[in-house]
Amino acid sequence: MNTSIPAISIKGLTKDFAVTLRGVKLRAVDDLSLQVEEGQVFGLLGPNGSGKSTTIKIILGLLGATVGEVKVFGVPSHQVESRRNVGYLPEAPYFYRYLSGYELVRFYARVCGVPKAQLKARVNDVVDWVGLSQAANRRVGTYSKGMLQRIGLAQALVHDPKLIVLDEPTAGVDPVGSAEMCELILKLKRQGKTVLITSHLLAQIEDVCDRVAILDHGKLMVEGSLLELVGQRDRQALIVDPLPATEIEALREWLTSRGHVLNAIEQPRARLDQLFLSKISRAGQLGGNPGVGSNVVPSSSVPKSSASASSSAPKA
Amino acid sequence: MSALSVPFSFNRLALIASNTFLEAVRQKLFNFLLLLAVGLVASAQFFRDFNFGSSELKFIADFGFGALIFFGSALTITATAQLFFSEIENRTALTLLAKPIWRAEFVFGKFLGVFSVIGVFCALTIGLMMALLWHREGQLMAANPEAFEAGRIMRYGDLFIVGVLQWLKFGVLSAIVLLIASFSNTNLYTVVTGFFALVICHLQYLARDSWSNVDSLVLRSVVRLLSFVFPNFQLFNLSDEIGQGAGLDPMLAGRVALYAVVYITVIGGLAVYSFRNREI
Repeated sequence: MNTSIPAISIKGLTKDFAVTLRGVKLRAVDDLSLQVEEGQVFGLLGPNGSGKSTTIKIILGLLGATVGEVKVFGVPSHQVESRRNVGYLPEAPYFYRYLSGYELVRFYARVCGVPKAQLKARVNDVVDWVGLSQAANRRVGTYSKGMLQRIGLAQALVHDPKLIVLDEPTAGVDPVGSAEMCELILKLKRQGKTVLITSHLLAQIEDVCDRVAILDHGKLMVEGSLLELVGQRDRQALIVDPLPATEIEALREWLTSRGHVLNAIEQPRARLDQLFLSKISRAGQLGGNPGVGSNVVPSSSVPKSSASASSSAPKA
Repeated sequence: MSALSVPFSFNRLALIASNTFLEAVRQKLFNFLLLLAVGLVASAQFFRDFNFGSSELKFIADFGFGALIFFGSALTITATAQLFFSEIENRTALTLLAKPIWRAEFVFGKFLGVFSVIGVFCALTIGLMMALLWHREGQLMAANPEAFEAGRIMRYGDLFIVGVLQWLKFGVLSAIVLLIASFSNTNLYTVVTGFFALVICHLQYLARDSWSNVDSLVLRSVVRLLSFVFPNFQLFNLSDEIGQGAGLDPMLAGRVALYAVVYITVIGGLAVYSFRNREI
């Protein structure tokens, strides 16, 4: 069993780029060490130029490390073998405009070695899963940004990889498309897939990630689970019906008599994106209808841990 | 090699080649150059008023090959550079190379895609030229039967072979452009350098001819080395032998074809080596 092998292991990674002919170098990643366990949704955060995309490119073997070691499921990332179980959605994806969505996913499926006997079914399943069945025969050049992201996710998933790398999957996408993408990521998580995601939209990261790492100037600033990093373990919130002032005062006294302190009384607020989604008609498609596909990632090997959620998984 | 390793796949290579071919034929430049070449070859029939007799046929053949070489060279350089850099600049290479594929599959897939496009271009141009020659030769035979007592004088098989050799020459040129593109940062640099390489390859026989007259051993060695580094494109100009005496020597054509295949393999290998460590 390979359960002990992390999906991604980064040790002492440093990446320098030569920026002038005289040998002046820019350090994009500086002594980074990280580990992403299988089945996690891991968020890589940081401002522009913090080294997120460089790190992802090294994981995918598109760039070489200056110093350090990067392994994907135990295989050094510079080896072709390391990409066998990886799906990648690049930032602001641009695909072959002259192909239809179906042709594009079919092309990548064939590149990834999906057997001919399963090709048609897998392509149909994954296009359906991302909710693009209706537009599958349209040229990719006519797709909106949200549709490009979804067809990008389809090509990343078509060979049923164990690790999916999403670089800014919601960049330039409207809140509805963004929410759809989050829902798809959560479905991947339920399938037991490992997801590495970068995003500037921190609220979204918070919704979908198990763990996050924050980079700045190529250095790892902090890394841990969301609960560890942003949870306030020494505080609790009670949400109650509106109370009159006299009862609030009585509650405060009651708490004080037992050695507790009432720190704050606040009006809970819905998030603006939730309000937006509730008012937009297209958002009504979220949650299982063709807008975001079925609940199960088309998979030829659905992990047992997610079998209960996958009872309707199409046979690939 | 472990059981899990990803072997080099001709299937993936063919996929990349077919995708490159599809992209190329949808580019306006290809259609434009094809139309120009076809138009030029077709216009050769308007020179019939000169009534050159059999030399008129030679003129049409030379005119056709001239169009093929000129537009074929332009198409080879621009299409190779464009089809390579469209993957880099549009970042489709990111998605493709993040899949379990070898960089060699990518480079040779690109080469085969462009080579197929040039093949279609050569086939159409040569096919049209041969049809025109056949038609015109028939007219001349009817008008001057005494000049064609021994039958048709044009050797259409030789024409075809010379067309294939030109295609192989374009293959060598495409491999050179791909090698430049593998380390170049811009499409423009690749195209300009590609045209320089074309001129050098056409003129390098001058250096080859002159090395025996160079006194300095060092200079002579440098000239000799350069003459091997750059392929000699003059070797492919066999159209002069068409319709002359015994016609094209098949052994010579075979040697020239082998010469092209060796250069394509070596230069293609260098392109793969250069692209292998390129940071995308």
